[in-house]
Amino acid sequence: MKVDSVEISVDARANKLRALLNDDGGRLGLITSIDGQQLVTLVLNTTAGTASAWTSRVDGDTYHSLSTVIPQSHWYERTVWDLFGLKPKSHPRLKHNLLHEPYSASVIPLRTGAIAPGGDNHRQYHHLEVKGDGVYEIPVGPIHAGIIEPGHFRFSCLGEIILNLEIRLGYVHRGIEKRLTEVSWRKARFIAESAASDSGAAYALAHAVAIESIFGVEPSLRADYLRSLTLEIERVAMHIADLGGIAGDIGFLAIASSMARLRGDALALGELLTGSRFQRFFVCPGGVVHDPSPKSLLQIRTRAIKLRKDLVSVIDMFLSNQVACDRMQRVGRVSNKLAADFGLVGVAGRASGIKYDARMHFHHGAYLELNPKVAWTEQGDVFARVRVRIDELARSLELIDEILERLPSGSSLLDFPDRLPSNQIGVGIVEAHRGELIHLVFTNAEGHVSRYAIKDPSVNNWTALAIAVRNNLVADFPLCNKSFSLSYSGHDL
Amino acid sequence: MIYEVNVIRLLSYLVSKGVVTSSQLSPPLQEGVRGLPSLTNSDCIGIECAQCEQACPTSAIQIEQQAEHANVRIDLGNCIACGLCTSICPTATIVNNPSTRTAQSEREHLIIQTSLPPVNTGAVSGGGGIFRRSMAVRVVSTGCSACDLEIGASGNPIFDMERFGVSVVASPRFADALVVTGPVPKAMHEPLRTCYEAMADPRLVIALGTCAISGGVHKNGYTEANGANGIVPVDLYVPGCPPHPWSILFALQMAMQLKARRS
Repeated sequence: MKVDSVEISVDARANKLRALLNDDGGRLGLITSIDGQQLVTLVLNTTAGTASAWTSRVDGDTYHSLSTVIPQSHWYERTVWDLFGLKPKSHPRLKHNLLHEPYSASVIPLRTGAIAPGGDNHRQYHHLEVKGDGVYEIPVGPIHAGIIEPGHFRFSCLGEIILNLEIRLGYVHRGIEKRLTEVSWRKARFIAESAASDSGAAYALAHAVAIESIFGVEPSLRADYLRSLTLEIERVAMHIADLGGIAGDIGFLAIASSMARLRGDALALGELLTGSRFQRFFVCPGGVVHDPSPKSLLQIRTRAIKLRKDLVSVIDMFLSNQVACDRMQRVGRVSNKLAADFGLVGVAGRASGIKYDARMHFHHGAYLELNPKVAWTEQGDVFARVRVRIDELARSLELIDEILERLPSGSSLLDFPDRLPSNQIGVGIVEAHRGELIHLVFTNAEGHVSRYAIKDPSVNNWTALAIAVRNNLVADFPLCNKSFSLSYSGHDL
Repeated sequence: MIYEVNVIRLLSYLVSKGVVTSSQLSPPLQEGVRGLPSLTNSDCIGIECAQCEQACPTSAIQIEQQAEHANVRIDLGNCIACGLCTSICPTATIVNNPSTRTAQSEREHLIIQTSLPPVNTGAVSGGGGIFRRSMAVRVVSTGCSACDLEIGASGNPIFDMERFGVSVVASPRFADALVVTGPVPKAMHEPLRTCYEAMADPRLVIALGTCAISGGVHKNGYTEANGANGIVPVDLYVPGCPPHPWSILFALQMAMQLKARRS
């Protein structure tokens, strides 16, 4: 999708953004910069399915923070400080996000040109301290007990109740956005896809849509259908994994192990389609790299039908267990108001009454012709997130069948020139299994990628986890955490 | 009453599924599934072609013109198994390798060349002696989570690594082996080192996945994400992006033999 570019003064952003968020269909996509000379605010209109980039020139290296009036901007402002050295004034809790103590203060990876003198950029990090009689802290991480990505959780507790959770991320910051500006666009997809591989299909698609919009070309309808197929297979596999993880966290091991087995069946669909369990390196700018054989497409269809039958009985046994349901209800609640304030996306947003699913609004895959149907509820607790996942899982398996029923014929790959068009802005907005994923790409006068910004759905939802666990039992944290199923690598990049 | 009905239903469902655990160990990948590349005797055109060298996203391939033949050199420790080289090679010198027995205990053995025979890892059997048949593994993840998910899958009912005595533990204090996934960016250097130092000797380090071996697509950037070597001493390398659960199981069985040799 092409992006309109609008110049807005840095101080006018707050009012304009507040008005936009009050409008029907207005959303904040992301806040970033190109080279440290400006702020870029990507705003979305979900009703019209359009995006525009507000560019605001910043003189010097400070500007007024938006976080006190628009809470969801707090995380972006921390990241912009790290990557561009632009410091938000009166940010309520300014801390480094991606660059930790081992990085020297002079490292400002995405800023070009010299930083203005007097920049205060030390790397020390102080956790919020909760004071009071009997309040104690539990530090967890960065290395976790199980097989998960690294991050640090600092719980401040009173008895068994969590008063505050501070989440520190950035441990797997690999410099992906910078690397994406250093390679030719033909090699960029391998890096874009390696950012968060549990959403690999969605990352590949967001990248492809962004590059295609810069070329001003749309892929064939067949390619669009095959891309939707990869996205739905990924959603099925990850929703099954998350449901199994939740069942495991409440001690319902028969369901957990059944889900682990069924996830294997879902991955097998992707393997048949693309030759890789994670569907790696299949979706590319222009379409998909190879057309799958009719035999494998037929096999995918029969196996997906079998998987659907198998899942129905496992899910029924899960939900008909009163103890299991009781463990998930009224735990880790996020209200609709907070979900709106923090711009929650995906399952977490829809479980708190935010009826937003990017498949319904922004062109990617074949969703203009397929109706994904938005699953949502209002309770906002762990159980609500489980219910939304289950509804989406059922719908995704139906979609797989519909896609294979209606798969159009034709070519599935277009080729593009080696050089990207100059001075363009392209965006890819995709509903990954975690929610809205954005890839925003700028090209310069020479046709090189001058800035590649990624917004993983977890960027919006990490704050929600911190809110959801307040006044819950420490022992319920793993359950709450799993119900959000957040990505560390997608956030850290 | 309702609970009993549920339990009986659940048990009969589980029994009806039978044993899903695969009895064949580390079989080759199925037709159409992408593995790592391997080299054949078919003559490479040489530097006039070199399409593979140009296309490779991680510069894992080098073509060297020698007197009579061109030598193709692929560093599997850099390879992300994208399949570009095998699909564009006009002479079928580079082909898909369906083997899942790909782990190596020496870094150099991951480098394959047409002029040299590959180093065969050989067969693995269990540990040695009745008290050497288990291995506790601590996993430190520093990457994109694909390798982590595949380690998780290695413990599922289909692959079931616990039948070989491999268990994933929650502390380095009682771990025999440290599995590192991901390219180990700067903020993880110190936590990884601390984790290794907390382990009792003898200990093994397994670099699992191409990122952990060399940094993969991330190497030589400002985050110094160049893999586990240099931070901790690596004993076993498992190439792949991510390695298939069968490759992981094979590597863990290999590690048990290394462990038996060293202790």
